[in-house]
Amino acid sequence: MIEIKKVNNRPLNLLERIYVWEIFKGFLVTARHFFVNLFCPGKIITIQYPEITRPLEHAAKRRTRHRLKMRANGTPKCVACFLCATACPAFCIHIEAGEFTSSQVEKYPAVFDVDLSRCVMCGMCVEACPEDAIAMDTEVIPGGVLKREDMYLTRNKLLQNMPGDPSIKGAANRLA
Amino acid sequence: MERLKPFIALLDLDLLLFMAVSAVKVGFFLGAVMGFTAFLTWVERKLSSLMQDRVGPNRASIFGFTLLGLFHPIADGIKLMMKEDFVPARASKVLFTLAPVITLVPVLAAFAVIPFGNYIEILGYRVDLVIARLPLGLLYVLAVSGFAIYGTFLAGWASKSNFALLGALRGAAQMISYEVTLGLTLVGLMMVYGTADLQQIVLAQGRLLFAVIPASGVIYQFPAFLLFLTAAMAENKRTPFDVVEGESEIIGYFMEYSSMRFAIFMFAEFIEIILVAMLAVTLFLGGWQIPYLGEAGFLFPCGRSIAIHPYAVVLAQMAAFAGKTAFMCWALMTLRWTVPRFRFDQVMKLAWQGILPLSLLNILVTGLVLLLAGKL
Repeated sequence: MIEIKKVNNRPLNLLERIYVWEIFKGFLVTARHFFVNLFCPGKIITIQYPEITRPLEHAAKRRTRHRLKMRANGTPKCVACFLCATACPAFCIHIEAGEFTSSQVEKYPAVFDVDLSRCVMCGMCVEACPEDAIAMDTEVIPGGVLKREDMYLTRNKLLQNMPGDPSIKGAANRLA
Repeated sequence: MERLKPFIALLDLDLLLFMAVSAVKVGFFLGAVMGFTAFLTWVERKLSSLMQDRVGPNRASIFGFTLLGLFHPIADGIKLMMKEDFVPARASKVLFTLAPVITLVPVLAAFAVIPFGNYIEILGYRVDLVIARLPLGLLYVLAVSGFAIYGTFLAGWASKSNFALLGALRGAAQMISYEVTLGLTLVGLMMVYGTADLQQIVLAQGRLLFAVIPASGVIYQFPAFLLFLTAAMAENKRTPFDVVEGESEIIGYFMEYSSMRFAIFMFAEFIEIILVAMLAVTLFLGGWQIPYLGEAGFLFPCGRSIAIHPYAVVLAQMAAFAGKTAFMCWALMTLRWTVPRFRFDQVMKLAWQGILPLSLLNILVTGLVLLLAGKL
């Protein structure tokens, strides 16, 4: 709750102008903080981030780590049209297309990499996708890793979404 | 070889023994100081974070052990060594290289006269627990710490950077101003104890006032203690007086320094904290003295006495000195994180209109009291 704090701008009295006593009072304040936090570290509100995360509310409105959706037959819904890579303002999506010979769908992503260390989490790729193949609803917040490679998602990692199981959520597709 | 014989004869056993003992003392004392300095860089970060309700460094790990972030000094050292060692193109190379050394050496040299214990007898050989026992040790400390200004100024001037030069000018003005006060605050102490030998001063502080209170300097010269701490913190160029550096925005005399050269300035600053703490302890808080502990054991004013082995006494006194120093370091750091920075005009006003007249007044009052008490 924000409220207005009235500051008393009266002229300082002699004891305050000598300053030594005021410094001593300040010293006691910092020393109190020091000892309280030294002996009861639990009172510090810092969250040790990568190990401990806070549950976030409003999952539907939130953009989190990407995933690639799959068709019911296990192939990626993505048709390697490059629209997401074109829309991406951070140039973090790298796609190399492969060709289906038998299927009605012409192309599939042979390589689909998302560099999360460049990603700005804007969601433009999701907006751009004509096939509804990419989504940002894994509820995994990228970051807090020690190696660059851990921020680099390849196609197989993207397909293995919704931690644990393959991403079959939203598999319905006219070409399924 | 024939010609060298008289010189070899001069190197008699006593001299060799003296040199060996001195080398051991230097190694022991400076080793302890250096180790404590590295520890202090961690303490500063942890202490400030705890005071601001933060957690502080706790990530550097060796095989998964973090030990409350104790490995951070090592990580800092490695990081600083890996940094590019940059010398500005127009800098005067020799002085630029020399400046950190000139900053560090006087600070280290000042430790030579600080007594860290009374004395021990090993096989009948008396070893004073002070590296060099000078009759004018106090003046030596002041003289040597006056040298530190050369390092500051040379660093600013030699790097041929306007901001560094401005920082150096601020530093020179501040350090000269407070150097005067630093010397004058200690005059009263020299008058009370009648000596400038630090070991003598500590021994004198072991006596009892009215047979109960230890006669430490802080009791005789409390105003001088506050003035000394203020002047010493200003000499140290730490926060209330850090317009010289202004780490967060205006930087200062070491602006062009990087890598280990910069680390030496940092290191010198931290060693200076220990030096100031040790001086405050030695001059005002009774040095290595533990109240009522004599050479043979405790002797309480109520008449009880506990006999303790002399070696144990010496060890306890050295531990007391270390403990007091650690406490003073803690207090100085707490002050550093309490008081906001003074503006430059405030710093100058405090020196010339505040502390200097007060320290002169302190000398006058001390002299008057000594005169009236008939000790002059």
